[in-house]
Amino acid sequence: MTVRGTVLLVGLLAALLAYLWLGELRPRHGRARAKAIPTLLVAAPAEVTRIDLEEQGKRLVAIRRDGKWVDPEGHAWRGDAVGDLLDTLGTLSPVMVVDADPAEPSDYGLGPDTPRLRLMAAQGKELLSLEIGERNPAWTGLYARLAGQREVILVGAVLHWELEKLRDAAPEHEKP
Amino acid sequence: MKIALLATLLASAPRLAWAAPPADQPWTLEASNWQDGKDLLPEPVLKHLQKGEYWFKVVPVDAKKFHDNYAKKFWDLTAANEGKYDLDEATCGLKDKATGKNPDFVVGMPFPKVDAGDPQAACKIAWNFTFAGNGAGGGGATFTLNGIDSGGEFRRIKAFVHTMGYQGRLDGKLKENPENLEGQGVTAALEPQDVEGFSALTKRYWDWDSQDAIWAYVPQTRRARRVNAATRSEPVQGLDIFADDLNCYGGKVEYYKWKLVGQGNILAPVVQPYPFQMKQVNRSRYVIQTPYEKAGYEIPGSKGAPWWIHDNLVFVQRPVWIVEGQSSDPYYNFGKVIMYFDREMYRIYWKLVHNRAGEYFYTAACGYHFVKNDDTFSAVFPSLVIGVNDKINRAAIGGRYQSSFIERNWDPNYFSLRTLTHMSD
Repeated sequence: MTVRGTVLLVGLLAALLAYLWLGELRPRHGRARAKAIPTLLVAAPAEVTRIDLEEQGKRLVAIRRDGKWVDPEGHAWRGDAVGDLLDTLGTLSPVMVVDADPAEPSDYGLGPDTPRLRLMAAQGKELLSLEIGERNPAWTGLYARLAGQREVILVGAVLHWELEKLRDAAPEHEKP
Repeated sequence: MKIALLATLLASAPRLAWAAPPADQPWTLEASNWQDGKDLLPEPVLKHLQKGEYWFKVVPVDAKKFHDNYAKKFWDLTAANEGKYDLDEATCGLKDKATGKNPDFVVGMPFPKVDAGDPQAACKIAWNFTFAGNGAGGGGATFTLNGIDSGGEFRRIKAFVHTMGYQGRLDGKLKENPENLEGQGVTAALEPQDVEGFSALTKRYWDWDSQDAIWAYVPQTRRARRVNAATRSEPVQGLDIFADDLNCYGGKVEYYKWKLVGQGNILAPVVQPYPFQMKQVNRSRYVIQTPYEKAGYEIPGSKGAPWWIHDNLVFVQRPVWIVEGQSSDPYYNFGKVIMYFDREMYRIYWKLVHNRAGEYFYTAACGYHFVKNDDTFSAVFPSLVIGVNDKINRAAIGGRYQSSFIERNWDPNYFSLRTLTHMSD
């Protein structure tokens, strides 16, 4: 084989390798990254020590005390609704960014009176602060916004279900 | 979901804004009085009601007569099961208290009393559901699957299903059960031509951990291949209906993690509130004639959603358990499923389905009819499923057969791969 032929073959090999990297391997790596969208609650549910749901001027509070969920006066929350909410938030990732820079957040039900869900760890460290807007037209999800961010995200409507369960499970005098 | 408390409050509170619906007269729940259905329907269904797409012919029902839709024998066997059964904690499998193992044969509902405070209540509810539907022991029907969108019907498939049960038979335990089955079934497509001959054989094993064995036969390749049990959560022939919609839950109890989350009242779809008669046609076979449930797309100029049923479906108010079910199988397409189980008759009337990303996308309404001739035998059949994919605003209706049969003496050899492979010969 001539030197020119060898150079040509090496060039062809390099082109093939480049194609493999650019066309196959790199996008696959990208897809793997795309799959790893963080869940709304990144910390382990066990780390959460306090939950506040503030809506319509009222606040529901669940505090973890001796492994149980109680309100600030020590009344127990009923059933597993608090734990279920944490489990859901620990597995739920935003479905999509609906609007990166909304001109009118109120179009999504987001405004000063929007329900807010806050999850805290020991020493008051905030683990999640989420504004919860309206359901999308098909009711498949809820518009929401993470604290300090402008973008509006869509999260699965299972969160709506879990919040309804939470409201129902509140100690009687705490119900909104 | 404003569960029991809100329902009770609303039921007892004086109604100021609108007149209460009559308790002893038929009435129609529609867009103009949708508030009366606020605590009687799942939320996504209520939305269709408000928009005038759905309405509900509500008929009063005598509680005792409705209870008697199941034969006295069934209720006596259920009562006799008190204290006999327990659950395997890890799998939710049914356990004989006397042996600590899977019971040999169960008939009647295994848990005559379910306490809402019992941590295993949901699992017991699921078992009662299974055995409430197993009494007949076998049967079949030729039915249709209709894919419907806003423009009307876009696909129609005609198929049949034949089933044989080993557990729960009111006629008693079968002598032979060499494969240790809970039940088995054959289903096959008949029309249109492009799906004719597609068939499947399912065998459900009577144990705590086996997956269903499902074989699918494709006539073009003339091969039957084993498929994953999680295919029950895949759309049937691309329609908005799933194998797991049969009775609103078609899987093995052990497939789901069950959780009781509330109680309430719901409007339950039934062909009629009281039983149909069955007519004996040979030594072991009984035929039941039921009316066809015509949908909007079949009635020119009709109002409402084209998939909504206009004729021969009524709604009765029933007390329900509200239960969540979730599969841990990574190949199963559904995430959290919310089901409404009759607290007495243990049928599931509605289910709401989320996908694995947590998006709500699908509601199934499951309508039934009851069959009873005397106090010794009864059956409950899934008459139809209205499956609505709210994400894409499309639906499918499954069932709506006018003739079905109960077979009390199937030849077990019929439920074989040989039947699949010879069906299209």
